[in-house]
Amino acid sequence: MKAGPSVIARLRGWITEPMLIAFGVFGSVPFWISEVGLYPYLGVEVLLFCIFALGFNVLFGNTGLPSFGHGAFFGIGAYGMGLTQLHLVPNLWIGLLMATFVAAAFGAAVACFISHRRGIYFALMTIAFSQLFFFIASKWTSVTRGEDGLLNIRRLPADFGIVTFPLRSNAALYWFTFACFIVAVVLLWRLVNSPFGRVLQAIKQNEERVAFLGYDVWLYKWLSFVLSCAVAGFAGGIFAMGQGGAFVQVMSLQWSSVVVLMVLIGGGLVSFWGPVIGTVIYFIARDLLGAYTETWLLWFGLLFMAMVMFKPEGAAGLGANLSRRLMAVRVRAGTASVGAGGTGGM
Amino acid sequence: MDFLYNLLPHLLNGISLGLLFALVALGFMLIVGVMEVLNLAHGSLFALGAYVALLFMLPPGVLPFEFLQPYYALPLGWRLAVGTVAAPLVVGIAGMALELCLRRTYGKDPLYGLLLTFGAALVIEELIRVLWGSAEKPFPVPSAITGGLLIGDLIYSTYRFYASAFAIGVIALVWLFLERTPYGALIKAGAHDSEMVRALGVNLPRLRLLVFAFGSGLAAVAGVIMAPIWGVRPHVGVDAVVPAFIVIVLGGVGSFWGAVLASLLIGVAVGLTGAYASDWSLISMYLLLIAVVTFRARGLLGKKSILER
Repeated sequence: MKAGPSVIARLRGWITEPMLIAFGVFGSVPFWISEVGLYPYLGVEVLLFCIFALGFNVLFGNTGLPSFGHGAFFGIGAYGMGLTQLHLVPNLWIGLLMATFVAAAFGAAVACFISHRRGIYFALMTIAFSQLFFFIASKWTSVTRGEDGLLNIRRLPADFGIVTFPLRSNAALYWFTFACFIVAVVLLWRLVNSPFGRVLQAIKQNEERVAFLGYDVWLYKWLSFVLSCAVAGFAGGIFAMGQGGAFVQVMSLQWSSVVVLMVLIGGGLVSFWGPVIGTVIYFIARDLLGAYTETWLLWFGLLFMAMVMFKPEGAAGLGANLSRRLMAVRVRAGTASVGAGGTGGM
Repeated sequence: MDFLYNLLPHLLNGISLGLLFALVALGFMLIVGVMEVLNLAHGSLFALGAYVALLFMLPPGVLPFEFLQPYYALPLGWRLAVGTVAAPLVVGIAGMALELCLRRTYGKDPLYGLLLTFGAALVIEELIRVLWGSAEKPFPVPSAITGGLLIGDLIYSTYRFYASAFAIGVIALVWLFLERTPYGALIKAGAHDSEMVRALGVNLPRLRLLVFAFGSGLAAVAGVIMAPIWGVRPHVGVDAVVPAFIVIVLGGVGSFWGAVLASLLIGVAVGLTGAYASDWSLISMYLLLIAVVTFRARGLLGKKSILER
């Protein structure tokens, strides 16, 4: 009988200290967000973009495949949510399921065309497909309502069988998104640190070698793409509820690039938490800088350029450097004190 | 026969559109072919070109420049000519600044170059908003080259014909420059084997700086020529950079005639679909791209390039 330690060890494989810190921070947000002059709805957007960016980073940071078209799948998720609700059944779970599933299905189709590619060509093909979806969504007015957007998407209650919670207020939606965020973080963390995730990271480093080891690289890249699309669609579904509508703008190239921006500036290339850090930085910059100057995007763009030039690892890389340097200082201090103690320890 | 006769005007329209696409893509092609950097800021430099030209055409309305009144009294055609020459010079300098920033990404994953130019695109677009405002600006054109032209049953814009002719001229000049001058030979050699070129004693960093300035200047020229057709607004850059990259991917990286051929194909595709389903005409170029690149990974006439890594 194995008991105690193995349970904790197993739990640690699923839940880590940074996770607890992140959950603690985000869990306290509703209690102070109004006090500091921000609004509760911002929290919802930050969290759902965190989910979006985390899913995107499975593809971008882990597999090393740059997609500049994930906004399209985010938008498809939003439309999936809205259309299910308006034409099929008004049920939250089915709506979210459909948002995820439809985005994944579109992603699967696109991935068939691009999974044998990498690098810049991969990025270009994702742009082409996302523009294709963007134009279809903006022209197919009978379904998507085109430029006006698909309006009147309700925030349906979360029905758990025995209890049903209304999500109509922003605070309630925040808690719901928070719960989704926890599930997404734990599952994605597990996935990235599973054998599957290791293969993805190996593909990022050297695709040929992974193929020589007998892995089906094409299939792994395909799965990685579909997975990130599914997560994007899920986040898009929540976004449609938050906004009360699905709009074609989120499928545009700019929105797709925003998520790349977030992930990179946070340090998604080196850290699991990069997307979360980046999303928070982006929204803080938007709302704080935006409050002072109309041109916050200019300063944000300059910051981004500086980041690519001097510290492509992003904020997480900066943090890692800092802690390494601190560690080095501490070690040096330690050896110094040992040296001062002379040979006492011998 | 009747069918062909009906088709002809749309075909003509498509070819002129294709030539304009080629003009828009030319600078982008040069930079990606020689430096293997996908310059996402191309569209913003394109927009900047239009705005700089505008500066030479209409009084900026700022007091310190009051003394320039006599210049703005010159005929509009002259001012347009001055703007068309001055804009690429100014934007070329901006391009040089961008290349200096880009130097830090050489030798790294090409993705970083892409990301840096993406950031630059953001910065330039916002800068335009700060300096000129977000609203769309009118771009005056001499009345001699505006108006309509009746061919068959369709009315064409005269300006588009002049613009297409201008595009042919620029394409020919760039081709002559690349193929018939020692500078062109150097540029092509630098793209082919940069190490060898450096070993022969060529100042490669300066060559790259000039190529980037040249490419940016071509973006600005395209921006000026397209301004009366697409309008002058900060966001017009995205409308320019997307066709440019489609042209390059479809034509194949590093191939001059591939890019021209791809532009014409795209133009004709957009022109013909525009005849039957004008709402969907822009989609045709993406479908064309996906169809071709699915079967020919390097585009129509592409060569192997570092970007595939």
